[in-house]
Amino acid sequence: MSKVMTTKDAISTFVHDGDFVYIGGYVCRPPFAAIHEIIRQKKTGLTITRSNAADDFDMMIGAGVVKRFIGTFLSLGVYGLGRCFRRSIEKGIPHKIEIEEYTNVSLPLMLLAGSLGMPFIPVSDMKGSDLLNVKSFMGDNKYKLIDSPFDGKPALLVPALNPDLAIIHVQQADDQGNAQMWGIGGDCKAGANAAKKVIVSCERIVDRDVIGKDPSRTIVPSFKVAAVTEEPFGAHPGYTPGFYDVDFGFGYQYQQASNTVEGFEAFLREWVYDVENRGAYTAKYIHKFGYEAFKKLQAKFDYSYPVSYAF
Amino acid sequence: MTQNPNTYIKPELMACCGAREIRDHDVVIVGTGFPAMSANIAKHTHAPNAILMQESGVVDARPKRPALSVGDPCLNPGAAMAGCLIDVMGMFLQAGWVDVGFLSGSQVDKYGNINTTCIGNYHQPKNRLPGSGGANPIGTMAKKTLIIALHDKKRLAEKVDFITTPGYIDGPDSRQRWGFPENTGPACIITNKAVLRFEKSTGEAYLSSYHPDSSIEEVKSLTPWDLEVADDVHETQPPTDQELKVIREVLDPHRMIRIYEGKGYI
Repeated sequence: MSKVMTTKDAISTFVHDGDFVYIGGYVCRPPFAAIHEIIRQKKTGLTITRSNAADDFDMMIGAGVVKRFIGTFLSLGVYGLGRCFRRSIEKGIPHKIEIEEYTNVSLPLMLLAGSLGMPFIPVSDMKGSDLLNVKSFMGDNKYKLIDSPFDGKPALLVPALNPDLAIIHVQQADDQGNAQMWGIGGDCKAGANAAKKVIVSCERIVDRDVIGKDPSRTIVPSFKVAAVTEEPFGAHPGYTPGFYDVDFGFGYQYQQASNTVEGFEAFLREWVYDVENRGAYTAKYIHKFGYEAFKKLQAKFDYSYPVSYAF
Repeated sequence: MTQNPNTYIKPELMACCGAREIRDHDVVIVGTGFPAMSANIAKHTHAPNAILMQESGVVDARPKRPALSVGDPCLNPGAAMAGCLIDVMGMFLQAGWVDVGFLSGSQVDKYGNINTTCIGNYHQPKNRLPGSGGANPIGTMAKKTLIIALHDKKRLAEKVDFITTPGYIDGPDSRQRWGFPENTGPACIITNKAVLRFEKSTGEAYLSSYHPDSSIEEVKSLTPWDLEVADDVHETQPPTDQELKVIREVLDPHRMIRIYEGKGYI
């Protein structure tokens, strides 16, 4: 049976208040269509995680759906500090989120450990820094510092993470959820495979035979996937390699809007609450900025040599 | 006297200072802005075989426009590898393959510790900053860390409010005590006034060279700790004709580097 459903149904069925959710992306392929739906459905109490968070996490924090953040970093890139993130931590607006802080080595490896079914993993970073002196909701289970049983040197162990759900956006998937991705990976493969189930959002749904023409690109196999949603332009204002570019102009508008609570709320109304789904969002984008602006973001084609797996 | 009659701007000089720290065949983790510029100057001058990588998973990118983030779309086409965080930060950095890493911070102290987490108290911060990202592991495990900073008494500190990324922590031997890989750590702090290097016996930064429009006195007066001065202290070598040509004709024809002047790098 096909797992294809609308993003609205996928989020209402598989995202529960209080869930621990991994959300993929690294400027590359943030699952914005799903993120907007989470905000529209006013989910609450989520714990969210990923290395190097950006405007998508900032928006969820500002919208009040986040209780806890297991993270390494959050900024708006060229547009500087995350405004909603700052307001939450500095002023408790809309509420103060709890953060457990790691790094871009330790957090991806915690997800990898989760994906491998390991209880914890040793990492070589964080030692000697104040990251060891701050603990939040994970308490003493944030890490364990031991003498290595092998060479006696200080060894830092960090726990495996197994989110309730992962939401990723990829280029293509079949209707069973075999998900194929190319380009910058971030911690997407580890994060998706660490989770108990996965929502795969994709630019296009393809036939199982298309997946089989290039199976090395599959990062999550179907049996881990709960739902598949087809969302062209679904990572905007982030990008999807081979489909569309980053929308720096839109990123700037988010920064300007999120400078104030009122501006941020107006932005959410305009682009999230008053928009039914990603199709309506894309239509709105074209209506507001013109088809040329939309067209300008679309990727040119520059194909690789065809690959063959034949024997 | 400067050898170069060209009027260069300070960010160009700083980028060149970074470039000169890179040797041919070095494996370098870069971010955007200065680091990317420095590494590319090196690649176009004395270090053509240096391999540049971004923590997001990219190795040896050939971008057709300046990358504005380490996940920028222009890093994908043409790269030797578009992998993931675990590849670059795990298999390459943590496993000891990275020679040079560039870092910057809102606060840098005399031991080369860097703060990108918060200004003020962690639990009630005056300013909440982005956090570590890849900085902590780069500072821990790259053989040589190059730190970019603004030179004033707010950005440089006797002690940072929060050690996001360890330099020499609290003095000599502290990295060994924590079991860090040998022969790693900050090599220099490149500021808009000077290049500071680290005295191995104390772990403290000292003045190695001052930029052509600055002086030992000015640098000392802008540094919040009692800055030692090298015996062979000298004026920083200005950008050469070749370096400036690479910056202006190849890497940055639109002179985007000027935005750093607006950020105080003057």
